[in-house]
Amino acid sequence: MKSIIKQKEFSIFMIVVLLCVVLSFVSPVFLTFENFLDIIEGNVVMAILAVGMTLVIITGDIDVSVAAATTAVAVIIGNLFSFLPDSWISILILFLIAPVIGIIIGAINGLLVSKIKIPAIVVTLGTLNIINGLVLYLTNGQYLNSSNFPKPFLTFANFEFLGIPILVYLLTAVAILTWFILKHTLIGRSVLAIGGKSQSAVRVGINYNKVKLFVFAYMGFLAGIAAIAQTAYTKAVDPNGLLGVEMMVIAAVVLGGTNIQGGRGSIQGTLLGVLLLAIMQNGMILAHIDTFWQKVVTGAIIVIAVSYDQISYRRQQAKLAKIEVEA
Amino acid sequence: MKLSKESVLGLIAIATILLMSLIAPGFLSSNNINNLMFQLPEFGLIALGMMVVIITGGIDLSITYIAALSGVGAALMLVNGYPIFLAILVAVIFGLACGAFNGFIVSKIGVSPILVTIGTWVLFEGIILAITKGQSISGFSETYSLIGNGYYMGLFPLSMLIFAFFVLVTGVLLNKTGWGRNVYMYGSNDVATLFSGVRNNRVVMKVYLYAGLLAAISAIIMTSRYNSVKVDLGSSYLLQSVAASVLGGTKIEGGYGKVMGTVYAVIIFLTLSNGLNLLGVHRAIVDVFIGVILISVLTLNFFSDKIKQKKETTKASKVA
Repeated sequence: MKSIIKQKEFSIFMIVVLLCVVLSFVSPVFLTFENFLDIIEGNVVMAILAVGMTLVIITGDIDVSVAAATTAVAVIIGNLFSFLPDSWISILILFLIAPVIGIIIGAINGLLVSKIKIPAIVVTLGTLNIINGLVLYLTNGQYLNSSNFPKPFLTFANFEFLGIPILVYLLTAVAILTWFILKHTLIGRSVLAIGGKSQSAVRVGINYNKVKLFVFAYMGFLAGIAAIAQTAYTKAVDPNGLLGVEMMVIAAVVLGGTNIQGGRGSIQGTLLGVLLLAIMQNGMILAHIDTFWQKVVTGAIIVIAVSYDQISYRRQQAKLAKIEVEA
Repeated sequence: MKLSKESVLGLIAIATILLMSLIAPGFLSSNNINNLMFQLPEFGLIALGMMVVIITGGIDLSITYIAALSGVGAALMLVNGYPIFLAILVAVIFGLACGAFNGFIVSKIGVSPILVTIGTWVLFEGIILAITKGQSISGFSETYSLIGNGYYMGLFPLSMLIFAFFVLVTGVLLNKTGWGRNVYMYGSNDVATLFSGVRNNRVVMKVYLYAGLLAAISAIIMTSRYNSVKVDLGSSYLLQSVAASVLGGTKIEGGYGKVMGTVYAVIIFLTLSNGLNLLGVHRAIVDVFIGVILISVLTLNFFSDKIKQKKETTKASKVA
């Protein structure tokens, strides 16, 4: 029991619970099953991206091109739809093509970071510029609506199992897969090792370049999946729909207890971080707070959370040099 | 004779200007030259602020929102009939306050600059939205618009003079003062700097204050030039200023960066985007160009460093 309370995730969990209690007093609608499903379904895209970003941040890097990559994949599949037949094969093709495009984008980032050794923030700022520019040029900022989407895709998007939308299952699958990779595979442990102390990790025999490449390619893979989720959720492709989401994704990951310097972080924590931001936004809407003030609150919470994280981390470091086994 | 990195960049800047005046129609028209002269200061000031932060190994992603917030501060004063002097003062105070906020969290609490400034980016954007309700504020006095549109002695844009002044100040501060030396030292090794008796906190604090100040000055020029202010004032300069610093030779890990390098890089960017615009290239493609330039410059840097290293090791082995 004590070990559970001491975990970082627990404190985030308590904040979420506290927020829920407060909000259920503010609005009677808040504590309903439907509202919670809405919150989760509305943030599936962000959660999928945040799960991928967790790995990137654990290695001590950052990827600000995720939203652009997701938009690029969404635009490509949106244009592909008119060529796809009206059968279930289309969905299969979709789930093959979208991740592959994502992986290609991610691998380019990964190669530039690992082989050419350009800092990730610069690489991804560059690719962000390039992708956004190309998307804007090719689409002219035009919205694609669902009129030429294949029917099976719309059925897929509206599909519910046990009253829970398919997208939530998709997120669950992504989260479990990533958790498994991080916790139980060699490459996952290497990700944590590189983040903890890259020099020692390399001396132990971990291939630094391979791990970095994997992390960015995996991020791209999830951007591909997120593109499908985004298209299915909005049933449209909006080239400007995800502008600025990358910052929220990074914020969610950091709120979830992942250290920006690398080395620590968990999928559960990240999901809680996304949930915290999502509930906050939902709560502010239910509490009729002016939309303009919502950004102030979000920004303040990010600043406070990262400061608190740093302070508590320093205190812990000061107390004793303890080896972290649990990660 | 060996040219420094910055001089090479200066030659490239001249080459780009020559190239554009050859291929882009109307590039050398007085109208267009004027346009360029008026764009340079606002972008240049933000890029200089970003450069100083990057030299310490940090990054300030909130810099354009600091500018926008200062602009809003000045605009509110002007619209409510206060004198221009007070409006400028308020803008500077807003810029310094935002910089102090960033600086406090980075230096005292020790959170990494990327995170802090992502947070303050959202925060400042929110504050601007809460003040302006998403509307633009406009309608300033004629005298105020002289700052961004006026000429000195009928020849030189006033804003260019302001920019030149701050280029000089930044250069002197970085190269001739103790603070400047500490900034470079902190950027290359913060622990060693601390152990040699430097108060790191103060150095970093002043860096963010200075970035805030430059953002505020840039905001004054921008608001005066556009005669209005909105939440996205100058937001397109954010990525461009990082790109300009890096293209100008500033090391993103910190420890190196020269004022003139950044100025040349800003000139190159402005010339390119202006020339491409005149050639009828889509605005979005210009963004793509900037991204490509940024990445290819760094890739070239990597390979040239590698070749240099190889040469040195073969030389060393020969000596041995």
